[in-house]
Amino acid sequence: MSDPAGRGQHLRRALELYGTVLALAVLVVVFALTSDAFLRTANLLNIAKQISFLTILGVGFTLALAAAELDLSFANVCSLASVAVGGLLTVGWPIAGAVAVGLAIGAAFGLANGVLVTRLKVPSLIATLATASIANGIAFAITGGVAYVGRLAEPFLALARASVLGMPVLVLWTAGVVTLAQVFVATTRPGLHLVMTGEAEAAARLAGIRTRSMKVLALALSGLAAGLTAVLLTASLSSAGPTIAYDFLMRGIAAVLLGMTTIEPGRPNVPGTLVGALMIGVLTNGLTLAGAPYYVQDVMLGVIILGSVGLSASQLKRAAFGLGH
Amino acid sequence: MRKVLGLAVAMAATLLAQDAGAQGFKLGVIAFQMSSETHARVANAVEAAGKARGWDVTLLNSRGSMPEHAAQLDNLVQSGVGGIVLAMGKTVELDAQLAAAKAKGISVVTVMSGTSPHTLLDVAVDDFAAGAKMATYLLNRMNYRGSVLLQRYEGNVSTRARGKVLDAVLSENKAVTVLDAHVMARPQGWREDVKAGMEALTLKHQGKFQGIWASFDGQAFIIDDILREKGVKKGDVALVSIDGGQETFKRIRDPNSLMTASVAIPFEVMGSRAVEAMEAIAVKKTAKEKIVAGPVLMVDTVLVDGSNVPADGKWPW
Repeated sequence: MSDPAGRGQHLRRALELYGTVLALAVLVVVFALTSDAFLRTANLLNIAKQISFLTILGVGFTLALAAAELDLSFANVCSLASVAVGGLLTVGWPIAGAVAVGLAIGAAFGLANGVLVTRLKVPSLIATLATASIANGIAFAITGGVAYVGRLAEPFLALARASVLGMPVLVLWTAGVVTLAQVFVATTRPGLHLVMTGEAEAAARLAGIRTRSMKVLALALSGLAAGLTAVLLTASLSSAGPTIAYDFLMRGIAAVLLGMTTIEPGRPNVPGTLVGALMIGVLTNGLTLAGAPYYVQDVMLGVIILGSVGLSASQLKRAAFGLGH
Repeated sequence: MRKVLGLAVAMAATLLAQDAGAQGFKLGVIAFQMSSETHARVANAVEAAGKARGWDVTLLNSRGSMPEHAAQLDNLVQSGVGGIVLAMGKTVELDAQLAAAKAKGISVVTVMSGTSPHTLLDVAVDDFAAGAKMATYLLNRMNYRGSVLLQRYEGNVSTRARGKVLDAVLSENKAVTVLDAHVMARPQGWREDVKAGMEALTLKHQGKFQGIWASFDGQAFIIDDILREKGVKKGDVALVSIDGGQETFKRIRDPNSLMTASVAIPFEVMGSRAVEAMEAIAVKKTAKEKIVAGPVLMVDTVLVDGSNVPADGKWPW
């Protein structure tokens, strides 16, 4: 006979690990039961496309947080990189060149964040807020506040608007980034060192891990994710403005914190971030299909952020206040 | 967390249950930035006019975010609405989404959003004409001489057009000089941005300007408060802007306010016109050409100052 107490423990453990996934599944069922349109393939692909930017930015933030550092600059860096890509394409740069500049801007800001945090010992909360402000200022200096709007070259737009065998290419980009990031943190030496740095920096240092380099790497990858998102966002909207990614800051953080409630509870983790982004995407889409007014969506998002922050506060505090140092 | 998520699911279920009971034409409304009074006035008027017809209306707010704007339009297209109204939307950036809506047979009417080959029509005012009314009024009020401060916003086609017309008017009236200009840079935090910028400029040029031009009324309100704090009296400086609204009229009536005049745009009327056009074309299947010949349905503006300001709660049209 099985032990009821043991079964209860297993169930509790399963709920701890997959409670948020279960809640997502319940949301899907509720929306599916009450809206004919929700489970249509076109709508599911629509949700998958819509969470792509949030997921890629969230994966970058996850890597930074895994190294116990905050990157609050990713949204503004993304906007700046977007403006650079849009501006360069508008003045006739080749697509590859403009894309390379966008990615380089993201990576450069990430590296700068890393240097500020590890060499100058500026807490990442402050360092990345400062670089966010700098990125914002440069974006406005480039544009004068006026977005680059117009029909950009089709091959560039195809980076975000094309489909491969019926699958939107944005979904493929997202799958690629999530897979690469998960393989990186779970199986490669630098990835494992990065996570160890975040979890116990002093112990990692004693074990011979170059913890400062790991933090620089984590923040640089977050910047690179912002650069990639900028390219895809510009292609998706065929426009680039100095605040184009502003709204992703809160939602990106929410997705990561929500992700920290599942799969590996209490830890920033890539699959969890995907679940968090999906939760936000499903909720937004489902409520729209349900005819819910906009303020209900805002309230729901706020409730979810509160809940996820409540559960994942320890890691966030460690990153925000440098408790890992 | 599970309690929180349970609450979320319960709320969603309640809303869905409400939705299931709704009947008739389904209308989606997207306001680009509901925190902007003008966007909210249009969107709320559209919602009210739609509901008055017994329609099932979903009102969404893009919060000034382009990706959110595009995602909301995608979601409405998937939801099977019969029509969509965009309030101050971004039709150029939403080209792909609007094309998808058209392909699914969804009628799209926009308000002050610009034209698109995928939409039925745009309800708009002529911002160049409105800008000209205000620019010439300001100069006339200053007796065509003196100095002005400008509060510009280049990130919106309407406010940009108003600014360009002002430049044209000023270029022909050399006795009026521009002392300084502050350009609003942060749409999300625009109130703080305007406050900080204009506090600095009014301090720097204290006593040297006779007029202030603001690209929309929300900016003018902030400038009005700054001037009042500095002890500037009504009549010392002419403060003009464009948009109109009950707060604007209240300030024009207020003997302590510097607000001098505004070109009032009938946002509520524009919202109603958008719904009327939607009803005629999408519901009653009237040919679009019978509603308006071109892609824009123009609505007139009214210049309001102390001489014709309406009483509390009234409108000048």
